[in-house]
Amino acid sequence: MNFLKRGFLSITRKKGKSLILLAVIFILGNLIAGAISIQQATGNVEKNIKERLGAAATVELDYEELDTLSDEEWESIEFEDIDIELIKKIGELSYVKYYDYSMATHLGSESMESYQGDNEDEDFVSMGPSMDFMLKGINYAPVIDFEEQKGKLIDGRVFTQEEIDNGTSVAIISKKLAEKNNLHVGDTFTLENAVYDYDDETGDEELITSRDVVLEIIGLFEPQSIKENEGDSSDHGMIDFMNIEYQNTVYVSNEIVASENKFNWEEYSKVDEEFAEMIEEEEGSFEYYTPMFVLNSPEDTDAFVEEVTPLLPEFYTVISAADQYDSISGSMESMSKLSKYVLIVAVIATVLITGLVVLLFLRDRKRELGIYLSLGERRGRVVGQVLIEVMVVAFIGITISLFSGNLLAGQISDTLMKADDKNSSFEDVIYYSEIQTDLTTEDVLDSYEVNLNSSYIIGFYVIGLLTILISTVIPLIYIVRLNPKKILM
Amino acid sequence: MILEAKDLSYYYQDGEQRRYILKDTSISFEKGKFYTILGQSGSGKTTLLSLLSALDSPHGGAVMFKEEDIKKIGYERYRRNNVGIIFQSYNLIPTFTALENVLVPMSITENEIPEDTKNVAYNLLDYIGIVKSKADRPVNKLSGGEQQRVAIARALATNVELILADEPTGNLDEEMEQEIIDIFKRLAHEHEKCVIVVTHSNEIALQSDQAFHLRKGVLSSYE
Repeated sequence: MNFLKRGFLSITRKKGKSLILLAVIFILGNLIAGAISIQQATGNVEKNIKERLGAAATVELDYEELDTLSDEEWESIEFEDIDIELIKKIGELSYVKYYDYSMATHLGSESMESYQGDNEDEDFVSMGPSMDFMLKGINYAPVIDFEEQKGKLIDGRVFTQEEIDNGTSVAIISKKLAEKNNLHVGDTFTLENAVYDYDDETGDEELITSRDVVLEIIGLFEPQSIKENEGDSSDHGMIDFMNIEYQNTVYVSNEIVASENKFNWEEYSKVDEEFAEMIEEEEGSFEYYTPMFVLNSPEDTDAFVEEVTPLLPEFYTVISAADQYDSISGSMESMSKLSKYVLIVAVIATVLITGLVVLLFLRDRKRELGIYLSLGERRGRVVGQVLIEVMVVAFIGITISLFSGNLLAGQISDTLMKADDKNSSFEDVIYYSEIQTDLTTEDVLDSYEVNLNSSYIIGFYVIGLLTILISTVIPLIYIVRLNPKKILM
Repeated sequence: MILEAKDLSYYYQDGEQRRYILKDTSISFEKGKFYTILGQSGSGKTTLLSLLSALDSPHGGAVMFKEEDIKKIGYERYRRNNVGIIFQSYNLIPTFTALENVLVPMSITENEIPEDTKNVAYNLLDYIGIVKSKADRPVNKLSGGEQQRVAIARALATNVELILADEPTGNLDEEMEQEIIDIFKRLAHEHEKCVIVVTHSNEIALQSDQAFHLRKGVLSSYE
């Protein structure tokens, strides 16, 4: 009749009390299980979505901060550019897997048609001279967009470092653009760098000069992450725009973009003295690069931001892909917060309620515990016996509530999210930035899944049993500290 | 000498004042004898018993078991291996059967107990007057006298030499009282146990081998 057997006998001989304890633990266990389920599900969504968003980061002007400036402050601001040296310095940080810096410009073409979507019958009204092609300069020869699965090279090859360094007239264009113009790898196409003068009064533009930019196609790509239009959604207009923009992107070396910008600005400065003076003052202003850093892991983002921020000139900030999550995860965040509070309240309530129930039961059993002590039983074993009794009942209660709480959490979060989605679907905004995402609130909600996984099960048992343990040990210690005479005589 | 109390003191702190229950009380006991300690309510006899059985610790003096301070032995270990205690209100575990109540101390003691503990417990209960059919009943289904017999069997279960009883017949009728006293006498005289009974009954005191009288914390021989 050791203390283990005594414990099991107590459970079976006092069925009523064991059932009351089981019911209390089951009810409170459901609260804890529900809260943990939602916590884990929201945590997984954040992890999954951030993984899908990738681990890219860039440095941009902090428009939020600039918005807060007064007119006087605006006048006195002198913006510094992000120079290549700084980009290289940041790129050397241990968090960075690879990096690139890019300069872009828009060019038109008389000989080539731009891609305007699969629905050719849609009318696109073009205002002013057509500049449909984005010449995107790069310095990282394997093309960072391909490495990050924004696009995929489906024909030909990427650049060589020599082509990048020398500014060789080679380009990679989208498959759809190539198909539209019956172009293939090895063919050449011509873009037009046209310089216009604008009449401020009439708004008319006049062609000053132009030059052809002849490029040889070395590769074709296909967009990967931008989804096809499906159904109606507030986000799809933006996604169409992003898709068309990307299909008309022409990858070239930064050298080519810089050269075309220089030509454009130099020619324009011939007809605009003010512009000429400005260009003269700002030496090297043909070159304005947007950096792109791909980090080893999305988890490095915070450390990267912390390390990079002090290196940046005033009014610049680090924008990371993870920031995009924050703009589309409203309902998830609120549910995560809610479940956190529910978990805290449930744990406190469990400690208090179970503690009180156990204390009431122990008051009844005070004499029994005194008897064990009077027989010379070790205090540790007396505590152990009661703990075993409570923990066995708790284990059963927690195991049942593990499943029911999980089901409950699934139902509740489903209802909450549907309601939230209805309320917030018109507020979804995808900011246009160097780091673009086609992920929407719907994607976030779709990837939310309450399920039973090992980390949830382990987490729940640990939290549940620990809570019961604390609520049992406290009143138990109070009793076994008494000497047997005080209890029995 | 199996048990000796040396200059025992015990008091309650009443504000700044100490109210002594026992003061420099000394007494010794031998094996094979049936002792009684007689006294009125509040005389300190239960306190003395609780100190002799290590249910409580004295504020002064020492209790020696076979010339070793029980504090040194360890109060828990002393209770576990050297003493069997019988209470006025039996103090049995109500959800357990009589047999299970006797088995409990057998699993706690470090003394050598025959492996077949169940049989030993049945025999012990039978010796005390509890037949097998009653031994398998929950103790709260037994009469007061039967419960006290179970308590005696429990005290004997660990094969100890020292049996201490606090008013063991206080809740029993006269006939049952005599049966219990006879058991104590048998244990002392036939089994060489040292049986110490605290009581307020002159009848019991007169049947013991040696009786002491405790009055206001002072012990004297009872004639």
